[in-house]
Amino acid sequence: MSSVSAAPAPRRRRRGGLLRRRAWDLVGLALFVVLVFPVFWMISTAFKPDDEINALTPTWITTSPTLDHFRDAMARPYFWDTVQNTLIVVGVAVSASIVLAFLAAVALAKYRFTGSRLFVVLMLGILMLPPVGLIIPLYVVLARYGLTNALTGVILTYLTFTLPFAVLTLRSFILGIPRELEEAAMVDGSSRLGAFVRILLPLVAPGLVATSVFAFITAWNEYIFASVILTDQANHTTTVWLSYFLGTSRNVDWGALMAASTLTAIPVIAFFLLVQRRIAFGLTSGAVRG
Amino acid sequence: MARRRPFSLRRLASASVPYLLVAPVVVAIGAILGYPLYRLVTLSFQRYGLPELIQRQGDWIGLDNYRSVLGDSLFWDVLLRTVIFTVANVGLTMALGTLIALLLVQLSAPVRVLLTTGLVLVWAMPAVVAVQVWYWMTNFQNGVLNHILTQLHVGDFFQHDWYASPLSQLSMVTLLIVWGAIPFVAVATYAGLAQVPRELVEAAHMDGAGPVRVFRDVTFPTIKPILLILTSLSIIWDFGVFAQPYLLIGASHMNESNYLMGVYVYLEGYAHSDFGRGAAISVLMLLIVAALSVVYVRRMVRVEEPA
Amino acid sequence: MRARIIVAAVLVGAALAVVASTASGGTAASNSITVWLQVDAQATNWEPIVKAANAAFQREHPGVAVNVQYQTWGNHLQKFDAALAGGNAPDVIEMGNTEMTKYMAAGAFQDISSDRSSIPNSGTWLAGLAAAGRFGGKLYGVPYYAGSRVVTYRTDLFRKAGLKVPTSLAQLTAAAKKLNSQNSAKGFSPIYIAGTDWYVAMSFVADYGGTIARQVSGKWKGTLASPQAIAGLTAYKNFFGAVSKASKTTDETRPNPYDVYAQGQAGSMIGPGWFSCCVGDKYKATTGQFVMPSRLKGQPMPGFLGGSLLAVPIGTNKSLALDWVKAYTSTQSMTSLRSIGNIPNTTSLLGSSVNERAAQKSWFVPTAKNWVNVENGNILRNMLAQILTGRLSVKQAAQSASDNITSVLNA
Repeated sequence: MSSVSAAPAPRRRRRGGLLRRRAWDLVGLALFVVLVFPVFWMISTAFKPDDEINALTPTWITTSPTLDHFRDAMARPYFWDTVQNTLIVVGVAVSASIVLAFLAAVALAKYRFTGSRLFVVLMLGILMLPPVGLIIPLYVVLARYGLTNALTGVILTYLTFTLPFAVLTLRSFILGIPRELEEAAMVDGSSRLGAFVRILLPLVAPGLVATSVFAFITAWNEYIFASVILTDQANHTTTVWLSYFLGTSRNVDWGALMAASTLTAIPVIAFFLLVQRRIAFGLTSGAVRG
Repeated sequence: MARRRPFSLRRLASASVPYLLVAPVVVAIGAILGYPLYRLVTLSFQRYGLPELIQRQGDWIGLDNYRSVLGDSLFWDVLLRTVIFTVANVGLTMALGTLIALLLVQLSAPVRVLLTTGLVLVWAMPAVVAVQVWYWMTNFQNGVLNHILTQLHVGDFFQHDWYASPLSQLSMVTLLIVWGAIPFVAVATYAGLAQVPRELVEAAHMDGAGPVRVFRDVTFPTIKPILLILTSLSIIWDFGVFAQPYLLIGASHMNESNYLMGVYVYLEGYAHSDFGRGAAISVLMLLIVAALSVVYVRRMVRVEEPA
Repeated sequence: MRARIIVAAVLVGAALAVVASTASGGTAASNSITVWLQVDAQATNWEPIVKAANAAFQREHPGVAVNVQYQTWGNHLQKFDAALAGGNAPDVIEMGNTEMTKYMAAGAFQDISSDRSSIPNSGTWLAGLAAAGRFGGKLYGVPYYAGSRVVTYRTDLFRKAGLKVPTSLAQLTAAAKKLNSQNSAKGFSPIYIAGTDWYVAMSFVADYGGTIARQVSGKWKGTLASPQAIAGLTAYKNFFGAVSKASKTTDETRPNPYDVYAQGQAGSMIGPGWFSCCVGDKYKATTGQFVMPSRLKGQPMPGFLGGSLLAVPIGTNKSLALDWVKAYTSTQSMTSLRSIGNIPNTTSLLGSSVNERAAQKSWFVPTAKNWVNVENGNILRNMLAQILTGRLSVKQAAQSASDNITSVLNA
C-alpha cells in the first residue's frame, strides 16, 4: 500500500543512503515487470488484431491497435447487467462481511469467553472444507428459501464464505496492536471499548483495508457458486459471464476474452486506488502516536 | 478464588458483550451453512448417486464410502502428491511474499506505489482469467514464454510442450498459484509491518543491531500473528485448490498421474455424480488439512489469546 | 459507547434478516416454461431460430412465457444435478448425445414414448442421433441437431501440388507427403490433427472394423485390444506421424486447429464442418472441404456423429415442454438450422453438403451409463498419448485402456 506522506525521517537513513535506496528501487522495478507481465500480456492481446494474436511469432505491442475486441465484448449479451449485478453482490457482501467480522474479531481478540476457542476452530473448519462438497446441499437450502437464481442467494453465500476468513484475519491484526497503547488510553478514564474504538481503530485501519480488499477480490472473482446458483444470464456476475466466452462448442474469440477480462478487472483497481489513502492515514497516525 | 460478585444488570450486560458481538456472524453462517454442513456429513455415510439424488432418497451404508476411498491406492498417491505440492507452494508463497513486503518498506514512494499497484493488478485477476492468460502465454503453438526463452538463448524452445509430463504440468500450476498468491501475502504483511512500533526499531538501531537482528527481535514478533494466519490460510487453500490445476492442465489432460486432491474430489465425487463418495472424500480432506495445519492453528489459537 | 456497538450489531442482524426474506426469482410459475439450451444457440445466426420457435409456441399458448436460459458445456450437468436436487429443473434441457445415457438410466427424464407420433418428422429421425435418446425400450430424448467431421483444406496448396480431392486413405497420405515436400516451414502440418484427438483415432478403429466396447449379456467389455482395433490404432499412429506436427499429447482445443490453419501452419485439418468460419481472412477464399476417405476406395471413413437432443426432466410440465420441443424441431425450424451449417434431425431434409455426406457413415460411443466417466478419466486420450510418444506399444496401450474401460463401464 502506498503512503503519500509517510516518508521515514532522514536521520534513519544514515547508513547507505541514496545509493542503497536506488538499488532497492531497481529491484522493485524488475520485480514489477516480472509480476505484471501476464497482466500486460492480457491487455496487449486485447488491443491486437486477430491475425497478430494467432501469429506464430508473438508481437510485444501491436502497431495497429484495434478497439474491435472491446466492442465485441461489450456487445455480448448482458454485459452491463453483469457489471451492475457484480457491483451489487460484491458491495453488499463485502460491507456486511467486514462489519460483522470486525465485531466478532473484537470479541475474540479483546475478551475471554467460553466458546471463543471453539469459535475460532469452527471458522478454520469452514475454510478447510472443499467448496465443491457444499455446492449441492447449499443449492438445496437456497431453493427452500426461494433464493436460487437471485442475487440475494449469491450475496448470502459469499457472506458465509468470506466471514470465517475475515474474522480470523482481523483478529490477528487486532491482536498485533501493542497493549501499552490501549492501556495508555484507558488512563483517560474512557471505558475499555471506547478506548479501543476511538484510539486503536485507526491503527487497525491497514488491516481492515487489507481484509476488505481481499474480501472484495475474492467475491469479485468467485465462480463456482455463482455459476450454479444463477441460471438466468440477466442475473449473472462477471466471472460467470466470462466463462461463456469459453463455454461454447464453437470457436473461441481470444481477443474478445482478453478485452472482457481487462474490462472486468477495472473496478477492482478502482477500489484499490480509492482505499489506498485510508492506509496512508493509518500509517501516519501510528507514526504520530509512536 | 474470586469472591462471589453480586448480581447486577450492568455486570450481565458487560459479560454478554462478546456474545452479542459474535452473534451476527454465528447467525449468518448458521442459517446458510448449517444444513449443508450437516448434509455433507450424513451424505458421506450413504450411497447417493444420481438415481438417489433424483428420488431424494439415499441408502445408509455406514463407513463403506470411507473404506472404499481409503482402500483405493489412487487416493494415497494423490494425497502424497498434494502434500508435496502444498509444501512447495506455501513455502514459495510465504517466503517471496514476506520478502516483497520487506522490500516495499525500503522503496522510494513512487516505486512503492508502482509495485503495490502491480501487486493489486495481479491480485485482481480472477483465477479463471489468469489461467487462460497463463495458458495463452505457455501454449505449444505460439506461446510467448517459448519465444522469450528462445530469444534469451536459454535454448531452443520452439513449440516446447509445457504440458507433456505431470511434473511439467504441476510446475506450471505451481508458478501460476504462487504468482497469484504472493500479492495478498505481501500486502497483508506490509500492513502488519505498519504496526511495528517505530521507537523500538530506532532503539534497536541505536543499540547497534543489524537488519537481521532487528527483523528477528522487533519486526518478526509483531507480524507473527499475521504470518501465522497467512500460512494457515495458504496451507488450506493450496491443499484444496481446484480451478488452477483443472483449467490450466486442461480437463482433457487430467489423469491419475497428475491429480491433486481438489481435482480428485471433483472428478471422483461430483463429475461421476457419486455424491456419497464425494462427501466422504471432502470430510477426509477436511481432517487431513486440519492435521497438516494443526501446528500453526494451535499456535494461533493458544499463544495469541486476549488478556 | 458499548450500547452503540450493541445497537449496531442488532441492526445489522435485522438488516440481514430483511434481505434474506426478500426473495427474487427462483421457482417457476405455471404460466411460464424454462428451457436450457447451450450457448451455441445464442450465436447471432442461431438465436432467431430459437425466437421463432418461442413465437410459434406462444401462438398456441398465449399466456405462457418462455424463459430460455443459455448454459455452457463446461458445467451444465453440474447445474442440472443441483437443479434436480433442489426441485427446480428446467422444463426442457439440451443434452449432448454422449451425456444422455447416464441421465436416462438414473430416471432424470420423463418418458415421451407415447407422444412420439405427434413430434414432427419422428418417422425419419437420423438413426444415429435418435438412438441416443432411447433407453430400456422407452423414448426420452428428441433429436435436435448433429454434426460430423470433415477435412477442411487449402485449395491453393492442393492446386500448387497438383492434388485432387482424395478418395482413399492411401491417396490422402500420398497427398500429405507431397504437401510436406513443398511446404517446409518449421511446424507445418499437411494435415493438422491433435495427438489425442480420439474422435479421429476412433474413426480409424471403426474403419478397420473395431469398436470401443461391446455389451455381452448385460456386462460391458472393452474391445480395443481386438485385432481390428489394433490395426486401426496402428494405422492412426502411422498416419499421424506422416501428416501432423501437432503436439502428441495435446487435445483438439489446445490449440484450436482453425487457429493453426489461420497461421498458415496447416495444409488441412480434420474437424467439424463449422471450422470454415474461422480460417482467417487470408485463407477464406482458398478454403474447401471434403469427406475424410476410408482405406477402402470411394467410401467415407466412419465419422463420429456429434449432436444434441432435447429432453423433458421429471417434475416438470410435460405437455407444455413437449409443445415447445415440437415448435423448435418443426420442419421449418430444422430447415433454418440446416441453413446455418448443422445437420438436421431428419433424413427427409438431408442434402448433399460435405457435412451431411460425411454423416452417412458414422460410429458412436458405447451407450453405457458410465460412459461419461470414461471420457472424464481421459482413458482414450491417455492411450493415444502413450502410443504416439512410443511410451507403450500399440498392443500394450490398447490392452491397458481396454481393461480400464471394462472396469469403469461396469462399476
